Amino acid sequence: MGYGNWDDTAYRAGKTYRARQGVDDFGYTAEMRAKPYDTWCAHPLLDPFGVGKRECRDSAEHGNSLPVAVLFDVTGSMGRVPRIMQDKLGKLHGLLKNKGYAQDPQVLFGAIGDADTDRVPLQVGQFESDNRMDEQLRAILLEGGGGGQKSESYELAAYFMAEHVATDAWDKRGKKGYLFLIGDELNKPRLAARHIRAVIGDHVRRDVSVESIYRELEQRWHVYYILPNQSSYYRDPEIAEHWTALLGQNFLKLDDPGAVCELIALTIGLGEDRIDLDTGLADLRDVGSSDEADAVGRALGSKPGPTLRALPPGR
Amino acid sequence: MSPMFGDRHLVVVDLGFGDAGKGATVDWLCSPEADLGVAAVVRFNGGGQAAHNVVADGRHHTFAQFGSGTLAGVPTLLSRHMLVEPIALAAESEQLAALGVPDPLGLLAVDGRALLTTPIHIAANRAREDARGTSRHGSCGRGIGETAWYALENDAPTVADCRAPDVLRAKLDRLAAHYEDLIGPSAHGYESVDALVAMYRDFARAVRITGPAELARLAQAGRLVFEGAQGVLLDEWRGLHPHTTWSTVEPRNARAMIRDIGATAAVLGVTRTYMTRHGAGPLPTEAPLGFPEPHNGTGHYQGAFRQGHLDPILLRYAIDVCGGIDGLVVNHLDVPGTLCAAVAYETSTGRTTEVVPGRWRDLDHQQRLTDQLFDATPILAPIETDPAAWLAERLRVPVVLTGHGPDRRDRATDSGKRAAEVGEQGRIGAHVP
Repeated sequence: MGYGNWDDTAYRAGKTYRARQGVDDFGYTAEMRAKPYDTWCAHPLLDPFGVGKRECRDSAEHGNSLPVAVLFDVTGSMGRVPRIMQDKLGKLHGLLKNKGYAQDPQVLFGAIGDADTDRVPLQVGQFESDNRMDEQLRAILLEGGGGGQKSESYELAAYFMAEHVATDAWDKRGKKGYLFLIGDELNKPRLAARHIRAVIGDHVRRDVSVESIYRELEQRWHVYYILPNQSSYYRDPEIAEHWTALLGQNFLKLDDPGAVCELIALTIGLGEDRIDLDTGLADLRDVGSSDEADAVGRALGSKPGPTLRALPPGR
Repeated sequence: MSPMFGDRHLVVVDLGFGDAGKGATVDWLCSPEADLGVAAVVRFNGGGQAAHNVVADGRHHTFAQFGSGTLAGVPTLLSRHMLVEPIALAAESEQLAALGVPDPLGLLAVDGRALLTTPIHIAANRAREDARGTSRHGSCGRGIGETAWYALENDAPTVADCRAPDVLRAKLDRLAAHYEDLIGPSAHGYESVDALVAMYRDFARAVRITGPAELARLAQAGRLVFEGAQGVLLDEWRGLHPHTTWSTVEPRNARAMIRDIGATAAVLGVTRTYMTRHGAGPLPTEAPLGFPEPHNGTGHYQGAFRQGHLDPILLRYAIDVCGGIDGLVVNHLDVPGTLCAAVAYETSTGRTTEVVPGRWRDLDHQQRLTDQLFDATPILAPIETDPAAWLAERLRVPVVLTGHGPDRRDRATDSGKRAAEVGEQGRIGAHVP
């Protein structure tokens, strides 16, 4: 009936849409936004409470399953990065397969918040190898909370991955999976028993040291921490020192968060000895990801050879 | 109000020719005051020509493609029955952002099967209306008719095509070739297909494009409100032919979608206490009532905004072609003076008190109704009681919501009214006329 904008052009519209690119709002977040905050909860697909085990199993056609878990921080300090993760990570499985970096990858996605202040401090999906991965990504709630004290509940996620995941890769082949935590803050000072009880439902009575939960985790997982640019603490030396102390050279800084899939894929390809770094970066340029290649090259320290070298902290 | 609807989804349709207050109704249904647990607003007909006014919390917006629940923070699904126009959609999202809605495009999901209205359709629409000269149909000039019409015979561009530039380009080239003879000599044009393809790709990257499972997913999260556009008397098959819109306005498509997800619906019919109409076509009770109309002016293509006395004969017809409705929403109860209503029509073949529906899709019958109404002189009688109660009795449908002004706080339910009458602080701030 009435209509106002007679001079709208494709260019102007395109500008509006470009301003929002990579900000695909996965419906569950929009759904929750429409409700009072005190009713927000994890999507049933991703609720870690009382789940028993998340399983990564071989199947008839995929007899060599490789577990890959990616959990990203969704608190406010991460800025737009969680949106970019949601948008980009859907490509990860295809990238691993197409490049032959992993034979039968199965990917699990999850999200990390602050168990002291958030409604939904932990979300963990299932290991998937098809388009159900997209569904999981869409179902991740981007709460955007956090407590403002420069720490998030990564150690709670680490506990879940250590205690509530079973993989054929480990059970049958003694092979470690790959776990990537993406965030920009510190662990909580201790893994709090009350957080475990409230969020995961295990009847744990005593707090656990952060150091010990990562040691346990590393028995069955290659654990990486990725600090992406565009988050609040990208240049904060305290963050780099904290994670380097825990994970050594598996602390990685990524200056273009849009290259997260490429960094993860290449890291796995290197870890599996499927590729060397220069070939991997050349692969990326071949598929037109030259900006991503540059970012990944910087994150991994572009030097041939199967070993990874992280950037020195604080650069 | 909730007990009345139970867990049914709600369908909101306009029983007249549009402009009766669907926007204000949907906004209220989505508001915290109503407390109906609405998870999403679903558009099920029409396109970017809708103009649903919402005034809430000191903000005013005329909703075209976004659902009227947006100011209440409720997401919108543009279903496959909607004609989507991304250029106007971008402009509307900017307007909403300026009103303080955070990330409006984030509140949007679009079914990939929905047809795309392009600048080519719009140019064709305007060229055709110009060529019609004085015998205009009352089009909005937004390309709605062209979009629907072209898609009947051709492989028309859809929202999903925006993700496949090569497919889209081929379809746009064919569309442009199809309309060359009409648009070429006219005063209208459009940007290059290349520019359009680039913009549509940006559109597809910025909004969430969904498939058939989306509706059930949203319904799991809460109640759905299906927001109709235009009015039932403009329906493509049930309206007063040829002064109709290229869209199924009556709720059959909404009902079918709700049936498909195994749920049930309550249909709410919206009317003012008098009739209105944009542009050409019959309006038997037309009179210079002079009620103020802040949001509706004369459109270059759709013609003047007209008013007429309340016409329960036409409203009854609208209810019949909706397959019955479950509740009435009566707006504009704040207009001053005594209202009149048509009790019968005098025609050259005698007196009549009803407009009889024909078979669905019988345009000859619809043309006869149009002729009958052009030939009708209404017999008017004053309404001596509360118009909402009068309408409920005359149309045999309960009134579930009344509007006493443009603002969200001007809506009242029966319970709200009663609360106001017994002197409580009604949450809705009803002021009963």
